[in-house]
Amino acid sequence: MKSAGLAGLQAAFHDHLLDRPSPIAHEVVDGGRIGVEHRLHIYHNAYRVRLLENLRDAYEKTWAYLGDARFETSALAFIEDNPPRHRNLRWHGTAFSQWLANRFPQDPDIAELALIDWQLRQAFDGPNATPVQADELAGLSAENWAGVGFRFTPTLFVTPLRCNSVSIWHALDQEQVPPAAESLHVPTWLLIWRKGWQPHFRTLQAVEHAALMPLQGGTSFAQVCAELGEQFTDQEAASVAAASLRTWLQDELIVGLRYP
Amino acid sequence: MRKTSPGFGLGLRPVHYPEFLREPQAVDWLEIISENYMVPGGKPLAMLDAILEHYPVAMHGVSLSIGSTDGLDAAYLADLKALANHVQPLWISDHLCWTGVQALNSHDLLPLPYSEEALRLVVRHVDQVQNTLGQRILLENVSSYLEYRSSEMSEWEFLRQVSEQADCLLLLDVNNIYVSGINHGFDPIAFLNHLPVSRVQQIHLAGHSDHGDYIVDTHDHPVAEPVWDLYRHACSRFGEVATMIERDDNIPELGVLIAELDRARAIAAATLGSEMQKFREAVL
Repeated sequence: MKSAGLAGLQAAFHDHLLDRPSPIAHEVVDGGRIGVEHRLHIYHNAYRVRLLENLRDAYEKTWAYLGDARFETSALAFIEDNPPRHRNLRWHGTAFSQWLANRFPQDPDIAELALIDWQLRQAFDGPNATPVQADELAGLSAENWAGVGFRFTPTLFVTPLRCNSVSIWHALDQEQVPPAAESLHVPTWLLIWRKGWQPHFRTLQAVEHAALMPLQGGTSFAQVCAELGEQFTDQEAASVAAASLRTWLQDELIVGLRYP
Repeated sequence: MRKTSPGFGLGLRPVHYPEFLREPQAVDWLEIISENYMVPGGKPLAMLDAILEHYPVAMHGVSLSIGSTDGLDAAYLADLKALANHVQPLWISDHLCWTGVQALNSHDLLPLPYSEEALRLVVRHVDQVQNTLGQRILLENVSSYLEYRSSEMSEWEFLRQVSEQADCLLLLDVNNIYVSGINHGFDPIAFLNHLPVSRVQQIHLAGHSDHGDYIVDTHDHPVAEPVWDLYRHACSRFGEVATMIERDDNIPELGVLIAELDRARAIAAATLGSEMQKFREAVL
């Protein structure tokens, strides 16, 4: 194998780590207190242990929910399917939630819980942005109010929920027995973002979602209020829009104003 | 060649942020894991900025993969350079190893064969990295659990050749020398005695796990007695060298690590004092 040179040796070592057929054992010096197989096994094991620990860290609630054995089985299978491609271990778990959705199609609560874990992590070290203060809006002219739109924090994630995974997350956070998984009967979305240095999350109902999404897409606030008026009663729309705006400002969701 | 030692440091770990920011600690400088701060924003970078106001910081990476036949990762190097521009570190270090090929990254520090081919590759890569970063880097000897038939020289000769041919500096991990010495049956003193004094910029100390037949570099225990003995020898050979303790798992209170650091201070002071005494006796 020496003729294959360094590239051949590294490819063989890598194949060994990934559990593929590999001639690497022929390249390792035999002798000393442990054998070649044992020496190679130390690396084979360390590779998995490091990635498994990283997934446990990133998916803490999912780990608590599945329990040690079931989480480990899933995580190790994910590791086999997804050898890390990024130089930063931070990103290795990116696809784990989607992988769990495919692995447990009958239990969407598992993938949803994993998505909460992952998006909280994304919000934790996502890009910084300075929140708009209520005073800035209060000082707007009527003309500017007619066209103003908002830029939202880059750590904002909005995801539709199918089940009571938020209740499950809270129970696990309190180290209590989580409620049984059940489907939600009302359209609900999960809102995750960072306020200050702390990730937050809460659920979103249809009216607020109907206001938020077009705003995020660049529609002006006045236009969104008008559209809400068509879907809901004028009074409901006006009060939802005003209350939502107040909450978004308090929660530091809005990080910029835009004008046509 | 090497810079004046900033003294005795610790690896910065998030669990100790509050103590470092609450009041001055008896730690001269801190070492960060570069990749932990190669993120878009949020608390890690905010804490780093707060730390930088009070402590000199060295950057220590784990994913440069200087010995990979895949070549260097330009995007990673650009991120590393951006972080270095922000931190203005004491210096930048990584490991003399490879971490993956075929565009995959194992996140483990895999050993290189100590061959002429590997030497040429590493020297070429160090040159590229140093040109990109605009400064000399430090390369650290890793713990290893196997040796290759294709090695043509000892690990210490390989380190010496890399540092001299690539004109880079060395981060000597005394625990790793001990671990590899046990795992491969070499004399760690011979390792230390072979390295060029002027290129050793920093020393790492750490704990390991003893499995009887072999030792694993786990960074989850206090520094072991034989490693302190080896550190004593390193002090007498290399003189005043920046020394720090790495702890990555089973992390104790900051005070416990500072007490361990004080032991390093005492060993270094006693060793340098006795070397000075020998010098005086020889001269007078």
